[in-house]
Amino acid sequence: MTLESTATDPAATSAASSATTPQQPRPARYVGRPVQRVEDPRLLSGQGRYIDDVALPGMLHAAFVRSPHAHARIVGIDATEALAVEGVVAVYTGKDLDWLAPMVSAGPMREGVLAQSRSPLAVEVARHVGDPVAVVLARSPYLAEDGRDLVDVEWEPLTPVLDPFAALHPDSPLVDEALGTNNISHLEQSAGDVDTAFAEADHVTRIRFHSGRSTAAPIECRGVVAEYEDRAGGRFNVYSSTQMPHLLRMLIAPVLGVSQGQLSVKAPDVGGAFGLKCTVFPEDIVVPAVARMSGRPVKWIEDRWEDLAAGVHSKDMHCSMEIAATADGTMTAFRGHFVTDSGAYSSIPFTPLVDSQVAGVYLSSCYGVQNVAYSIDNPLTNKCQIGAVRGVGWVPGQLAREVAIDQLARSLGKDPVELRLQNMIGPEVYTTPFGQTYDGGSYAAALEKARDAVDYPAFRQRQAQARADGRYLGVGFSPFVEPTGWGTASAAAGGLPNGFFDTASVTVEPDGSVTVTTGLHSHGQGHETTLAQVTADELGVAMDSVRIVFGDTDSSVFGMGTYASRSAVLGFGSIQESAVQVRDRLVRLAAAMLEADDADIELVDGVAAVKGVPGKTVPLQQIALFGYFGGPARPEDVQRDGLTATSGYNPGETYANGCAAAVVEVDVRTGLVSIEQLAAVEDCGVVLNPIIVKGQVAGALANGIGVALLEDLAYEDNGEFVSGSLMHYLYPSTTEVPDLTLHSIETPSAVSVGGVKGVGEAGTISAPAAIVNAVMDALSPFGIVIEKTPMTPEYIRGLVRAAEAAATGPARS
Amino acid sequence: METKQGTVAVTLTVNGEKRVGVAEPRMLLSDFLRHGLGMTGTHVGCEQGVCGACTVLIDGQPGRSCLAFAVQVEGATVDTVEGMAEPGELSDVQQAFRAEHGLQCGFCTPGFLASTQALLEQNPDPTDDEIREYLSGNVCRCTGYQGIIAAVRRVATERKAASHDA
Amino acid sequence: MKPPTFDYVRPASVAEAIDALAAHPDSKVLAGGQSLIPMMNMRLARPTALVDIGRLDELAGIEANGSLRVGATARQSTVLENEQVGRRWPLITAALVHVGHPATRARGTFGGSIAHGEPASELPAVMLACDARFLLRGGSGEREVAADDFFVGHYTTVLADDELLVQVEVPDPAGSAWGFGEIVRRHGDYALAGAAVRLAVDGDGTVEEARVALFGVSGRPIRATAAEEHLLGTRLGDERAAAEAGRAALSGTEVTDDSFVSATYRHDAAAAVVERALLEAALRRRGTN
Repeated sequence: MTLESTATDPAATSAASSATTPQQPRPARYVGRPVQRVEDPRLLSGQGRYIDDVALPGMLHAAFVRSPHAHARIVGIDATEALAVEGVVAVYTGKDLDWLAPMVSAGPMREGVLAQSRSPLAVEVARHVGDPVAVVLARSPYLAEDGRDLVDVEWEPLTPVLDPFAALHPDSPLVDEALGTNNISHLEQSAGDVDTAFAEADHVTRIRFHSGRSTAAPIECRGVVAEYEDRAGGRFNVYSSTQMPHLLRMLIAPVLGVSQGQLSVKAPDVGGAFGLKCTVFPEDIVVPAVARMSGRPVKWIEDRWEDLAAGVHSKDMHCSMEIAATADGTMTAFRGHFVTDSGAYSSIPFTPLVDSQVAGVYLSSCYGVQNVAYSIDNPLTNKCQIGAVRGVGWVPGQLAREVAIDQLARSLGKDPVELRLQNMIGPEVYTTPFGQTYDGGSYAAALEKARDAVDYPAFRQRQAQARADGRYLGVGFSPFVEPTGWGTASAAAGGLPNGFFDTASVTVEPDGSVTVTTGLHSHGQGHETTLAQVTADELGVAMDSVRIVFGDTDSSVFGMGTYASRSAVLGFGSIQESAVQVRDRLVRLAAAMLEADDADIELVDGVAAVKGVPGKTVPLQQIALFGYFGGPARPEDVQRDGLTATSGYNPGETYANGCAAAVVEVDVRTGLVSIEQLAAVEDCGVVLNPIIVKGQVAGALANGIGVALLEDLAYEDNGEFVSGSLMHYLYPSTTEVPDLTLHSIETPSAVSVGGVKGVGEAGTISAPAAIVNAVMDALSPFGIVIEKTPMTPEYIRGLVRAAEAAATGPARS
Repeated sequence: METKQGTVAVTLTVNGEKRVGVAEPRMLLSDFLRHGLGMTGTHVGCEQGVCGACTVLIDGQPGRSCLAFAVQVEGATVDTVEGMAEPGELSDVQQAFRAEHGLQCGFCTPGFLASTQALLEQNPDPTDDEIREYLSGNVCRCTGYQGIIAAVRRVATERKAASHDA
Repeated sequence: MKPPTFDYVRPASVAEAIDALAAHPDSKVLAGGQSLIPMMNMRLARPTALVDIGRLDELAGIEANGSLRVGATARQSTVLENEQVGRRWPLITAALVHVGHPATRARGTFGGSIAHGEPASELPAVMLACDARFLLRGGSGEREVAADDFFVGHYTTVLADDELLVQVEVPDPAGSAWGFGEIVRRHGDYALAGAAVRLAVDGDGTVEEARVALFGVSGRPIRATAAEEHLLGTRLGDERAAAEAGRAALSGTEVTDDSFVSATYRHDAAAAVVERALLEAALRRRGTN
């Protein structure tokens, strides 16, 4: 991996620097440095504590009975044989759980989306392969599976709805009769005058693209362990591998019929999540419910089949995309239609609009196109629910737009890089036709840097040479803008108007050590490190004196959790807002102790000193002890509040940007694509820790390779699910991910605290379109049009075969 | 001939220590280590023999602990992540993974550490292609492998330098 | 994803193993377990008893005097690292690199990979290309079966319920040219199509005998006899002959057509992989001569 970074001069980024920043950070000591991760020694020595490591006394193990059918009526469930197995303790069906309130998707939180109710265990109808209908409790997971195999469900198969377009037809069978339609949301939005732009265009490019069905498949499957304390009105402890402890508590407590005060969610170390674990799943309800009913703690660890068949799927989106352009290549309008094959249930809390809506609403991306329109449909089908997974709908939206732009370039005979640069917005603050306000970025610079990273002119020569030798090389580019730091403002701008609330609490303990609690969660992002870097800088203390606490609703302050590349922004902002208050108290305490002016106190590395007076110092331990127990000599607010401050932060809109470039070789005989080079330029504003940013980008790029080439969740024509193992659902491994070329540019955010933008998803958003464009470029001698991901060998070979047949005329037989 | 039914005692030498637990014949080595002996450092990712998270060293060779029954390896020497360094310390492989950011969530990491240890035992100075080939049976969803491969390279280089110095 | 219950039998000898297999109907042989255990974890296989032959040292030997004799429970990694095998049976070594991954090869056995009868795995086809013979021992005694006659279909071979594959014998391929290739989406996966070829050539480089074996394309590993016939009398490395052999490779074969890969694709992939293996065989020979 090569790495190079450029920091842009903030003053040179025009409007970006003149906007007001709420609190300028202190001179950085840790922020920006490649500090080694605090969590690593624990995780490297086997001392991580993940959900399957949680064991409670007397605990039973759960196994779920799930539908083998895409769509079937449950005629009856007979658990007699299962209950006869020695060690099987109980079997519960949906009817036994009728005391629960229904799970309701987030429709009520916004207009234009139907709310869907479901029971955690299907009672009358199972709606996809893997839909849970009963749960078996036993003394061991082995026995629970023995019992599961013996639960006899009588099924009456129903016609499955599998094609999303057929599902939109008024005569289609319904996935959920109660809704009266399969389409949970049809939305349209338009800005400028799109129809006129298309009518007056010199050139119109139209493409269709199907972004395939993939998922997060973290190496750690999900899990829930729950216990119920049957006293004083009852209370639940729910251990869950979630990304959002407080939000999960808020959403499951009402279903379980208790107040949020009667339910604690504890998220231990989480072994990868990628958005999937910010969904509320039926098991999150059923496991605590049956813990209550059985009077015993219950543990459920998802297995890999369940993860693939019945967790969350994503990105199964049928896109059509049109570009209007003038003869000189100026793009004048974009129009898109995005249909998400939404699966059987509207996922909670984000709904399948987390894919379709965001594909549409950010359509103009880094281009100055003023006439933009999109429409979306979200038909339910008898498949697994669609929910948030790394990159969400930005991935299909990016594919549709960037593939169409390459197509336009080919039609116009223009260079795809030049065409993009010609249409790109400037680096300054920019408001899109749909009203998102970008906080400044290196849009063109990132593309130019990516172009240089693949040595573009030299590549074109190499490509021509290779073609003469019968080898097919190609290059593709994919510049992007990504909303990050997801809070109330960015969500509203993104068409998903949910409120957000996040806080951090900073405490200097009596001995000067520092405890920070946050409602964010870390599952690989390294918050124990980056948030400690931020805290240490803000307070002027040594980083190893700072501890970051999160994951348990009993010990952490409220927050919305970690997803949507939000935590760097939210963490920095909320901690700084709190730390500033604590620091101010420390300074006043130190001034009192050193008999100096507040303004002359400097706090560095855990020691307060008086500016210009060498030797006049007091260590933080003494200041803290004085702060807690120093009697009336202390400032009044310190006497009252001590050294704790809690503050919320809800950032403005902040957008990362960058560009991916891919160089591929296609074996036209077998359809195999190999990635020779994958380069990424990332601009996520001020970098907290370059090692961690690099890791986030690299991981997301690898995921993007999977989306482009490997990962596919497939259903047969009868709805049977055929991708239930890792033999069939293919992750990229060490041999499919090349040595990555990573570059960075730093354009500080004009609006966020510290100038920070988020980073987790960029590579997954940008890489697939770069790879598809590269493959199409490689195969341009065949005139091949790629219309879907993943680009399997079979798909690519089929296109080449058809092109060859067309070129040689009808086969002689 | 020995036939085992019901629950039987299984003895293993784990990280140099003799350990005895009880297991049904069907109990996977991964479950025996984790839930029988309480050694939860070894992780289980798929139980389909694909992801490699559960890789441990069995008699010095890498093996997927989800693809072995505890009874099958009775008497064997098993090395897990818990035994890679003295308490409070990190081995050179562990340190290199930290230095190169070869882990994020940490779930696949114990398997990668075991495979890396075995690789360098067999081939102290592997090329990048050899590293990639050897580790292709361990999947990481977080890192994109860049830090992992760099970490293996770093250990090989450091060990070579150390042996030259010696 | 936990296996169903079974009785575990650990025989002390091959004879005991055979007795145990006879005594337990619905039993399975457990050697390395690298294919069987995932199927049991997924509860796709539910043997009532497992007969563990993994510790029978009498089955673990590797001998290379004239022909190669590999005991059924020799670990794949042991064979892969065997210097004699690498020098004299390089086709086997080349193929073993593609069998799973180091962690599965360290436990997976040579014989197990053959007896399992997975049509997309490498070793069965290599055995066809090498004209190997298998020694089977069972309740009714011992018999030898040619690789050509051993594989019946998906996960089925001529092995009787109470019969063990005890040894694999591979003749000395001295002087023959060889090639190996497979189409996989990821390193270590089962092949979408793969070929192992071995060619005996005379002093002028004319092909006198051709064995072209394919895997991943049909219900069992197969010999591409039409391709072999094409090659006889042609010169090793003749590009046109290699291409024609590739095209002929699947003629007359019932090609697998499933949800993941169509028969049409397998035809194209097999043609490419056979042609390339043949050309690679010629290149390698030129390189060594």
